[in-house]
Amino acid sequence: MTTMAISDALYDELVGILGEDGVLTGKPARWNRTRTPAPFPVHRWKEYVPDVVVLPRTTEQVAEIVRLANRTGTPVVPRAAGTGLTDGATPLRGGILLDVKRMNEIREIDLVDRTVTVQPGINMLKLNEVLQPHGVMFPDNPASYPCSMVGGRIGTSGWSLIGARYGHTRDLVCSMEVVLPTGDVIRVGEGGGRKLRKASTGYTIKPLFFGHEGTLGVVTEATLELVPRPQAEFAAFFGYRDYDTAWRSTGALAKSGFATLAGVVLFDEWKLAYLRRDDEAYIEQPDWLKSVVAVAMYGNKAEVVPAAREIMRIGRESGGSYLGDEISQGDWAARHDRYAIPLHGRLRTGEVAPMSWHCEDAALNYSVLPRVREEWHAIADHYIRRYGIFDDWGMFAYTNGAYKPWGDYLVEIDIGIWEQKLDDEMWEAWLNCKREITEVTLRYGGSISACHGASRAGDVEYVPQELGGAFDVMKKIKRALDPNNVMNPGKYLLDQAYED
Amino acid sequence: MFGFRLSAQKPPDPRRITDDVVMRFDHIYEVDPDKMAIFGQQDIPAWDTHRIVDSRWDHLAWMHQHFADTVLGMSDLGLNEDGSEPEQ
Ligand SMILES: Cc1cc2nc3c(=O)[nH]c(=O)nc-3n(C[C@H](O)[C@H](O)[C@H](O)COP(=O)(O)OP(=O)(O)OC[C@H]3O[C@@H](n4cnc5c(N)ncnc54)[C@H](O)[C@@H]3O)c2cc1C
Repeated sequence: MTTMAISDALYDELVGILGEDGVLTGKPARWNRTRTPAPFPVHRWKEYVPDVVVLPRTTEQVAEIVRLANRTGTPVVPRAAGTGLTDGATPLRGGILLDVKRMNEIREIDLVDRTVTVQPGINMLKLNEVLQPHGVMFPDNPASYPCSMVGGRIGTSGWSLIGARYGHTRDLVCSMEVVLPTGDVIRVGEGGGRKLRKASTGYTIKPLFFGHEGTLGVVTEATLELVPRPQAEFAAFFGYRDYDTAWRSTGALAKSGFATLAGVVLFDEWKLAYLRRDDEAYIEQPDWLKSVVAVAMYGNKAEVVPAAREIMRIGRESGGSYLGDEISQGDWAARHDRYAIPLHGRLRTGEVAPMSWHCEDAALNYSVLPRVREEWHAIADHYIRRYGIFDDWGMFAYTNGAYKPWGDYLVEIDIGIWEQKLDDEMWEAWLNCKREITEVTLRYGGSISACHGASRAGDVEYVPQELGGAFDVMKKIKRALDPNNVMNPGKYLLDQAYED
Repeated sequence: MFGFRLSAQKPPDPRRITDDVVMRFDHIYEVDPDKMAIFGQQDIPAWDTHRIVDSRWDHLAWMHQHFADTVLGMSDLGLNEDGSEPEQ
């Protein structure tokens, strides 16, 4: 027996479009498609539950659902894997949760013009397993690689671990089919081309459909870039006695100019302290180790071998000690799958408590990293002392620019949160912590988010400040494309677009 | 009767590695059980610990395979284990 949260008439229409097995009204189906990774206000879970879940298979079905939503004024929230870290796939107003997981077909592999065309519910790991025998790869590689999906990658404008070499999600989509908030279906690409990488005809519309968090429509098909599957991978982890040396070394490595350089990652001493207590790879590292820099390279062996030798020289000459093949290769492989991190943290006493992972993901320039790091940790420390349910899991800075790794960084502070202890007071404390972190980011000329998006409470209040006049343009676009405010309403403060 | 008994697979007593960490088998680390009072440590039989650790290595090798045909180490670059140039 299930309790229906929608009217019989809406249910019947949805079943008419999708058949009975495509419409789920049961409690587990709806509650499980509510939350996203931490921190989620678990004490207020029921406020975010959708009224009905739909599982379409075709573009036409998605278009019909969206048209129905417009007719009935029902919100529609697209959801792919639900790993997004800004609650994009969490409904704020109930309504229809449109789960794209059954849209997981590979439509075409074109080995001549080097593209693959897929539906949005396919995951990159699974896609690459099919592509591997053809000697090609779709190189979008988030740390959620085994679980996130193409639709969510586009919806968030994702960042890839190997993006310095191959580009990030927005560089890797040639064109896509989008069901607009009115139910019209369009294809956006470079000009009108499906498999083009660059065109100049008309306005450049495609970027608008990255990172909109489901507020501007539903991607139902995407034509993606294929690159040659790399012959060789090289990863080197260097250890340093202090952060400043590691930071300078990061700069030198990132500026090395090798086309095979896929990424450089700087770990600070809080991160090392965290790994030393809870990650087997680091526990026996010597006490002097206060910072680590990881470098990854991919490409043909003939290119990677000489470049990697130079990278070893630069790393060592700039103060790094090589940590060995085992830690370099093992830890790099583990970065593709960060669900394997220990989901526990420590109270100030050292006692283990179950904690979930929160990650700030600001975009910041290289020059400001040392100062931002100090300010962020001081903020975290204040909240840890005062509330006792948070833990500082340290900071990473990853090269951020596609093909230009030197300029700016995706900067993370990872904070453990004992979610079971959340109540209104603790939640407000958490939001204040986030707000203080965000204020530092903006003060240093950064952006709130390099890849997750900024629609979560604690971030979203600052979006108008960060974007200035561009936020007004954003509202105008939203209203023009979604006249009835049905696509993921309430996100990004976009209700303001409808206030006259 | 054929059955599983934890006592037959009891892991050795832990050795202290750091203030926070103990070790029962070589290179397999555990949080110090004294720090796990709020949530007690599970009893894990020895074979299961080995299974988890071995499958972790399998997982990492499988993950490497997704991204490239070979993984290069220092010997492939003609360098010493610590990354230095060999003496001529
Ligand atoms: C362990 C872990 C590691 C992570 N590492 C990274 C990382 O390295 N890089 C990175 O960029 N992110 C990372 N993330 C965040 C997350 O994985 C990404 O944001 C990812 O792009 C979300 O994909 P998803 O399939 O889970 O999307 P969801 O969370 O389901 O959706 C994300 C957004 O996209 C919208 N959306 C989904 N499908 C569609 C569609 N078909 N059309 C239009 N909009 C749609 C949703 O409404 C939502 O707003 C990580 C997350 C975790 C949990």
